[in-house]
Amino acid sequence: MLSVKNLHASVGDKEILRGIDLEVRAGEVHAIMGPNGSGKSTFASVLAGNEKFTVTEGEVSFLGRNLLEMPIEDRAREGLFLGFQYPVEIPGVTMANFMKMAVAEQRKYRGEEPLTAAEFLRMMREKCAVVELDPKMTSRAVNEGFSGGEKKKNEIFQMAMLAPKLSILDETDSGLDIDALRIVATGVTKLKTADNATVVITHYQRLLDYIVPDYVHVLYKGRIIHSGDKSLALKLEREGYDWLINDYKE
Amino acid sequence: MGFSDYMLSDSCRQSAGSELRFDGGQAAPVAVCNPGRLSVAVADGAQARLVLSHGAGCCSTVDVAVGDGASLSIVELFVGGRSTMRIAQGAASRVALTSVVAGDGSAEYRTALDGAQAECDLGCVFLAGDDEHAQVKIRVEHNVADCRSASTVKGVAAGRGEGRFEGMVYVAPDAQRTDARQTSRNLTLGDEARITTLPQLEIYADDVKCSHGATVGQMDSDAVLYMRQRGLSEDAARRLQIEGFVADVVMRCAVEEAGEALLAELNAKLERL
Repeated sequence: MLSVKNLHASVGDKEILRGIDLEVRAGEVHAIMGPNGSGKSTFASVLAGNEKFTVTEGEVSFLGRNLLEMPIEDRAREGLFLGFQYPVEIPGVTMANFMKMAVAEQRKYRGEEPLTAAEFLRMMREKCAVVELDPKMTSRAVNEGFSGGEKKKNEIFQMAMLAPKLSILDETDSGLDIDALRIVATGVTKLKTADNATVVITHYQRLLDYIVPDYVHVLYKGRIIHSGDKSLALKLEREGYDWLINDYKE
Repeated sequence: MGFSDYMLSDSCRQSAGSELRFDGGQAAPVAVCNPGRLSVAVADGAQARLVLSHGAGCCSTVDVAVGDGASLSIVELFVGGRSTMRIAQGAASRVALTSVVAGDGSAEYRTALDGAQAECDLGCVFLAGDDEHAQVKIRVEHNVADCRSASTVKGVAAGRGEGRFEGMVYVAPDAQRTDARQTSRNLTLGDEARITTLPQLEIYADDVKCSHGATVGQMDSDAVLYMRQRGLSEDAARRLQIEGFVADVVMRCAVEEAGEALLAELNAKLERL
């Protein structure tokens, strides 16, 4: 589904990603871990198409197409979803209106019939339930005045609404108390099918108690330096990163 | 449905006279197109609703007297045109106004709160497209004690458009316990758009709650990115953000039934910005 080969990216003249290789197939869950400043969020942003970063080398194909050539919105319409680490507030734009436009644009791109108002409302109610989000929240402005937990639940609600092929969740667990973490993680697990894939970027093993990964990768200084199965996350939790990164320190 | 369609529909009573008197309860809104010289009187305790539209080249002066305990709701749309509205409010009277200047045009309001416990809420939007000049001026005079006023003005300028807001809250020496708020929020699109905002307070009483604030900002590129990541085109994301910026003023439309038509005019204008 996603194939990343030797990806390099910079912001200004500072190189942040220094040759990432990653293969993600349908039905898989990948976790990307690593110390602060290793390039995890940059990797997510580059895949989503954030123009702040320049790709200097490498290839990314998504469902057989060259991802790097597509504008941000086409990546989304092809089925790539980014759960933001810091969801943005949009004053005056209600969640319902925002999702109505997003769903409509994505369906149009895929040549699907537009949803009727009743179908859309039913879908919103169903998807709110996935993350135990009060449906009343959808008539509030996007993320405005939402608590940290509500913002992250709202990201997963949007993921449920858009039913992406590949979801990249950038530190969706940061700033969550244990109940919100459980709700968010359970939501992600409910949305998992054999046809979609998830990449979770996280600092903490605790998220992986709920979202069990097939692969765990350690990102350090812009490269994946080690990969393993879910036991790697437990080992990292116990022993930290030192045993892995010593060889790479300058 | 556009605003002029709304004004001609059965939900309004058209009027072409130069004097309007309201003596009773709240009936259908009275619609006046290009009012010119107009005087409006709302009797003590009466309720009234007024819808005005101003076209290009039209210059109007509207004098409004709102009696004790009376209430008046006003909606105005400027598609060109200039107008000065002077409003005198009696004790415990209430005025709510929603006004949109879409393109070239000037809306000026001078409200005198002359009776205790009078209240006024003014919500204005001005939109200046390329080479257009849109302005809103508001002067609220708190002449007696215990009155409340709130003005919210939102401006958008695009291309080489220019927008201007001048606001003045005057509090007379005896107008104690005045509660006056004034907000000016503005958005410039592109490097050549200009907005000037001049919020001012002149206070001669000492026991008052007054606030004013003004900001001029640009599009939030993080919000545009966020919306594009959900599949909206860049244009759609920008428009949605601008719509959201001015939405709250129009959502609280003083004459509720006119809200939709006003929003349609606003969105049509935004599409051309």
